[in-house]
Amino acid sequence: MENVDLLKRPMTESDARLLELYRSLKEVAADRDLPPCVERNVKKALACMWQVVNDLNLEFEQLYDLGV
Amino acid sequence: MNHTYWNPRNETLSRDELRVLQHLKLKRLCEWAREKSVFHRRRWEAAGFHPDQLKSVDDIRRIPFMTREEWMEAQLEAPPFGTLTTVDRELAVRYHMTSGTTGRTALRVLDSTKDWEWIAEMWAYGLWGFGLRPKDVVLFAFSYGTFIGFWGAHYACEKIGCLVLPSGSATTEGRVRTIVDMGVTAVCSTPTYALRMWQAATAMGIDLARDSKVERVIVSGEPAGSIPAVKRQLESAWGARVGDTAGMTEIGTIMIFECARQPGGTHIIEDNFIEETISHDGDRVVPYGERSERVVTSFGRGFIPLIRYRTKDLVVKIPHSACDCGRTGDIYQGGIQGRWDDMKLVRGTNVYPRAVESIVRECTAVDEFQILLTREGLHDEITVLIEMKPGRADHWTALQSRLIKDLPDAHEGLRFNVILAEPDSLPRFELKAKRLVDKRPAAIYT
Repeated sequence: MENVDLLKRPMTESDARLLELYRSLKEVAADRDLPPCVERNVKKALACMWQVVNDLNLEFEQLYDLGV
Repeated sequence: MNHTYWNPRNETLSRDELRVLQHLKLKRLCEWAREKSVFHRRRWEAAGFHPDQLKSVDDIRRIPFMTREEWMEAQLEAPPFGTLTTVDRELAVRYHMTSGTTGRTALRVLDSTKDWEWIAEMWAYGLWGFGLRPKDVVLFAFSYGTFIGFWGAHYACEKIGCLVLPSGSATTEGRVRTIVDMGVTAVCSTPTYALRMWQAATAMGIDLARDSKVERVIVSGEPAGSIPAVKRQLESAWGARVGDTAGMTEIGTIMIFECARQPGGTHIIEDNFIEETISHDGDRVVPYGERSERVVTSFGRGFIPLIRYRTKDLVVKIPHSACDCGRTGDIYQGGIQGRWDDMKLVRGTNVYPRAVESIVRECTAVDEFQILLTREGLHDEITVLIEMKPGRADHWTALQSRLIKDLPDAHEGLRFNVILAEPDSLPRFELKAKRLVDKRPAAIYT
């Protein structure tokens, strides 16, 4: 199940790495104890990665709960 | 690698795959909106709709339409942002509002960091699709105010890697000078303002087609960008290709763009929008090739979910196969052809400003024009005021004769008055041009 995209097509190796990166950023963004310079830049990076996983049909979800 | 598409994966998805993707996104968006937006939950409960009913994308028809009037009421109920929003205002990083028509409440919109990435991304689909690349130098003839206009295009150009030249408070002459001095290769503006810049350049002794490096003019904000006569004039004046795009503040970005093949229409970005074509006077699904009202559902903006929004835009949808660029997004023939509420009834005949403009702009000696509706006794009159280009006054008699014939021919024989206006007497526009003035008194029934 983890190896297919939203259209149930097999993910490429690159897809899998990008999705993993996106999830890692989500985990970091959920940390409430980050200094402002880290918190805001991680959130900007996460917004960009959201766009990548949306463009590639790897994930489609809202990120407002993470402040993004 | 020489990529034709900004997003090769989705811009060439099969129609079946597009429908699967749209269904998945629609269901998730509706679940989100039902949980978080008081506006949507209330209306859907009253209509007996629940996101669980979305078994395929065709089930979108179970969702009640949403109107601008309902949005305005929602703002009045809980000012300033209304009951449509899904999350706290503190999560927003930007505020914009509709340009507003006289007497109507402007719509206020909020977006988060993620939403702005998406807004720029939609513009990137269009700008890349029309041929913009990192080497381009792009000037924005745009005022950078609360009207959302080209904000997203600015960020999209930065995202693509172009050199961006903002020109917020510059004069028209200053913009022309910058275009020439800085080697600008692409300009973003309204069609009306692109014409105005060319007029100013001519008055300055600058021939933009000869003296500038502009290869592309990207227009938005008015239906004129897809009127063939306007496009021809602009392409000749600038010595550049003119690409049409269209968006709306309600979605924050563009939903259609003209690709580099220029098939006479604009592709819909269908992996991010569902664009339904519905009869303007009801809820009948209108097939390809017929005039309809576009109804939009946007997947990108979760802050203010726009689901089955009646736009009042007049469109004719045709299949993607009308273009050979390889994109599978369907096409609006001639872009946004006007607005259903722009239509005026004059002595029993429907008059659309765009139809008049497409005839008037066939005459290259026309500098500016205005459509004036008046009432003489019980009789409506329609007058087209024409300003001639400098040095072209000797063409007036022939032009008047031509318009007195061509305008009625296109309007069931309706008689038009065609009058010469003094130079510089008609208004000029930077953003949305308003060339129709209706001075007829409202009917009073006793």
